[in-house]
Amino acid sequence: MARIGVFVCHCGENIGRTVDCHAVAEALGQVPGVAHAVDYKYMCSDPGQQLIKAAIAEKQLTGVVVAACSPHMHEKTFRRAASSAGLNPFTCEMANVREHCSWIHEDRASATAKAIDLSRMMVEKVKRNVPLSTIRIPVTRRALVIGGGIAGIQAALDIADGGAEVVLVEKAPSIGGHMSQLSETFPTLDCSQCILTPRMVEVYQHPRIRLMSWSEVESVEGYIGNFKVTIRKKARGVDEDKCNGCGACTRACPNKRIPSEFDCGLGKRPAIYVPFPQAVPNLPVVDRARCTLLIARSKGKKDACMKCVEACQRGAIDFEQKDRFVTEEVGAIVVATGYQLYEIGRDQGGRKDLHGYGEYGYGTIPDVIDGMQFERLASASGPTAGRILRPSDGREPRTIVFLQCVGSRDPAKGIEYCSKICCMYVAKHAMLYRHKENGGRAVVFYMDIRAAGKGYDEFTRRAIEEEGAEYVRGRVSRMYRDGDVIKVVGFDTLGGEPFGVDADMVVLATAMRPQPGIESLAQKLSVSYDRHGFINEAHPKLRPVETNTAGVFVAGACQAPRDIPDSVSMASATASKVLGLFSNEMLEREPTVARVDAAICAGCFHCERVCPYGAVTHMEVKDRQGNVLKVVADVNPGVCQGCGTCVATCPSKSVELQGFTDEQVWAQIQAFLG
Amino acid sequence: MTELRELAKKLLAEGAAKVVIGWEEGPRGVRPAFATDAAAADRLVFDARCAHDLAPYLDRRRVHVAKLGRPAVVVKPCDARAVAGLIRETQVKREDVVLVGVRCGGVLADPEAGGTLSADTIADRCRTCDSRETALADHVVGTPVEPLAAPSRRDARVAELDAMTPAQRWAFWQGELARCTRCNACRQVCPLCYCDRCMADKTQPQWIESSPHGRGNLSWHLLRAIHLAGRCVDCGECERACPSGIPLGLITRKVASVVADRFGHKPGDDPAVPSPIGTWRSDDPQEFIL
Amino acid sequence: MEGTATATGFEPRITAFVCNWCTYTGADLAGTSRLQMAANTRIVRLPCTGRIDPAFVIKAFERGADGVIVSGCHPADCHYTAGNYHARRRFAVLRELLSFMGVDERRVTFSWVSASEGAKWRDVVNGAVERVRECGPFESYRALAGGV
Repeated sequence: MARIGVFVCHCGENIGRTVDCHAVAEALGQVPGVAHAVDYKYMCSDPGQQLIKAAIAEKQLTGVVVAACSPHMHEKTFRRAASSAGLNPFTCEMANVREHCSWIHEDRASATAKAIDLSRMMVEKVKRNVPLSTIRIPVTRRALVIGGGIAGIQAALDIADGGAEVVLVEKAPSIGGHMSQLSETFPTLDCSQCILTPRMVEVYQHPRIRLMSWSEVESVEGYIGNFKVTIRKKARGVDEDKCNGCGACTRACPNKRIPSEFDCGLGKRPAIYVPFPQAVPNLPVVDRARCTLLIARSKGKKDACMKCVEACQRGAIDFEQKDRFVTEEVGAIVVATGYQLYEIGRDQGGRKDLHGYGEYGYGTIPDVIDGMQFERLASASGPTAGRILRPSDGREPRTIVFLQCVGSRDPAKGIEYCSKICCMYVAKHAMLYRHKENGGRAVVFYMDIRAAGKGYDEFTRRAIEEEGAEYVRGRVSRMYRDGDVIKVVGFDTLGGEPFGVDADMVVLATAMRPQPGIESLAQKLSVSYDRHGFINEAHPKLRPVETNTAGVFVAGACQAPRDIPDSVSMASATASKVLGLFSNEMLEREPTVARVDAAICAGCFHCERVCPYGAVTHMEVKDRQGNVLKVVADVNPGVCQGCGTCVATCPSKSVELQGFTDEQVWAQIQAFLG
Repeated sequence: MTELRELAKKLLAEGAAKVVIGWEEGPRGVRPAFATDAAAADRLVFDARCAHDLAPYLDRRRVHVAKLGRPAVVVKPCDARAVAGLIRETQVKREDVVLVGVRCGGVLADPEAGGTLSADTIADRCRTCDSRETALADHVVGTPVEPLAAPSRRDARVAELDAMTPAQRWAFWQGELARCTRCNACRQVCPLCYCDRCMADKTQPQWIESSPHGRGNLSWHLLRAIHLAGRCVDCGECERACPSGIPLGLITRKVASVVADRFGHKPGDDPAVPSPIGTWRSDDPQEFIL
Repeated sequence: MEGTATATGFEPRITAFVCNWCTYTGADLAGTSRLQMAANTRIVRLPCTGRIDPAFVIKAFERGADGVIVSGCHPADCHYTAGNYHARRRFAVLRELLSFMGVDERRVTFSWVSASEGAKWRDVVNGAVERVRECGPFESYRALAGGV
């Protein structure tokens, strides 16, 4: 028999003014199963809580209803009080007679009647509450970081420094990401490689980081604390254990005319190559589509070239190598896959709603380049050793036009968002150019300048006011080649007149987009993404680095356009989340999760189809001989978030949501209506 | 007919199936038949009297049928939609059953009475059915048939009810549901009512009162319709089985039209197409939500 | 408008099934903003509209409710990402089915009320009470219990 205690709070005058709290307590005292009902000025005060604790002990209460404010306010308070007096915290519930009653009604009689109803409804619910215990899930204290750009590097280092093991997966041959391609960084103009390379080396040497470059995530199973990740280690063509990174093979390769991805096509590389000198790991990879030997073999011809094999003194070249799969068990996953640049041409790699900027002549006029190509030209380790030279004729340009917002903020071209970093890097480009080319003209076409950030506005102002960059507010309508120059025609919206420049080079500040393939990775992780492919955070304000899948976190430009400080901050935030998760051996979760009654489940799996979290799995029910009698649904309490959609969907009512069972809802309906 | 019998014998002889579920002559028109040998296969028939949906016999819970072994079942297009539903909802594995599709031009509204199929005698659901054979079947038998075009009486009746006031509709349905004896025949014949334990038999809490009176009767028919929303294949068996002659087809037809109008879904015979309740689109119409 | 138990003779009894994250919190906000509204509703708090079974609505009518409110997060705001989308389909069917069986549409109110829409919650409640008042007591449903 239930022995429920009802505690009616006056909340000073807040409830007492419109609700006759004493009458509520008296009425509730008459309800069968209520062993104790009192009212008190402030239930949440120490004496108020004492009152509850004392009554639990003296009256041997089996459940508690506190008729007071919203459970969002004090449910935790009263559950803690009940718990300290020896009751299961989940047998304590609140009736909201303040926000939902005394504060919204003036008539004392009807407010009191409603308060009695609300309290009775809760009493009937609590009678059907069962003691629940916090769900405890073991945690594998090992993290997977996907993406080895600055965000992934930072996350991996912070997690590893915090004492946990990290598996860092990078799909390119080297970590470093886009930051390794940059020349200088805004707003300080410090050399990107100089600040990044030590971090890359740190990753490589860290005893708790296992680096897998030239690898991709193949599949993900499991749930928070207990993921099982299969990683595809792509065939490098080089035995990682034998290679010492001497570089003899790359020097020996006769095919050195392949456009370098790292130099955005402005430089060349061989068919067996290390993407850039500071690469980590310093291991070459064979470009299987371009290696003369492998091309010959694929056509069934005899081996045409063995130069690299002959050059390697350690016998590390292995053309027979196949993709290998390794499985790693991890407790948390950080997604830090970064960005790609908007492709300026018409084809946008599968996105039909993006139209490209064919009118800007990218790809047809050789001296129209994008921002990343400019970075490579400006980089001391780049194809021109840091000199800004025209790709067409190697001449120094006397006038460079920079166009902002190419792709960004242009719904007509399919992308309405701001790419955030372009205003800053264009100012940087203009400055770098002016520093390197005395007297050269830097003209910037902009829509408006967005330079919010520490030292950012000062930086763009410096470009304009001190470094002589010419800023023209307006968009360019046409660009065409006229002899040696590129005619740039636009409209100066501040001057109110057409504006034309003869440029030697044009640099397009193209939009940031998530990496290709992000959707399929997101699907493997069952995290949601927006229509552009950016990973959705769990809450835009309060949970910015979590995703809707518990245990999967997000950092850097795969979530939205981000600059380096933002990416690093996010990465450190994910590390703190991961380390927080790892700080306990067992993970504790609210027990309001769904449970299936296997005896009556018909195995229709409607629940599986509606579950937003993939928490429903198939379970075989067997007889003693091991014969499968039927296959039923099973809810993984580690994954279930307790929404209850499966419960309402289940035709046979074989699923229950603990804490919000059908019986409890039924009892509440009946307590009100009779 | 010969084609069907020969195929059935072949399936049995080759061991592709241990039992062929079809129809045979019975004392009151045709009845479901479970042919396990050539002699029984020779008794199989198919004509406009074969209204029964045989898909429920694929349910593993019907142990008397299950113990006969691997089944082949003769399916009209509507029955095939039911089988597709069972496959979709993991009750039947496609590879565990041989489907023999029959080309169908409709069945009789009153199969026990017999007679020839005409615009007058055809079952109402067959008036609006546009599938003559199913793509889900392993074998298709019979001769191609032309559909019998006739306006749906149920649609006309649903439109009449829609035009009434809520009070008039209430009065109509109370008049009909008052005859419900809760015999559960509608549930028993429904190919998609297969739960181990029906919600209506749940007692803690008892969502649906089990005795035959107004309150429980209404709850039962409401929740039955909700559970079948987007899943009902319009085989018409519930209404045909109802001993009290309650026009259950009006309810299923109404819900089907809501599902078609709002979610653009019509139950078909492709098990890969998900049921519309249990999926969603972010731009689903929501004019009724404040 | 304020609720009174006796003044007009008929005071509708309305059960409100609301989600914990948006509408319940929005109703909390209505309280902290001291927005006065009709006292005819009693809220049953559930985690998500996805948890709200059509059977709840039917049971409420069975037990004598004159009206029902179902309310949750706006599309795209669901705490559980998709519960409200599932609910929206479910209740689209339930609403038309109830109407077809003779339940006046004005007795069932569906709404999206976010945690910041305290005033909207007040309007939803007052509007529902008003519409149910127009319908009058749901005697016909209550009369079904006569057989027991």
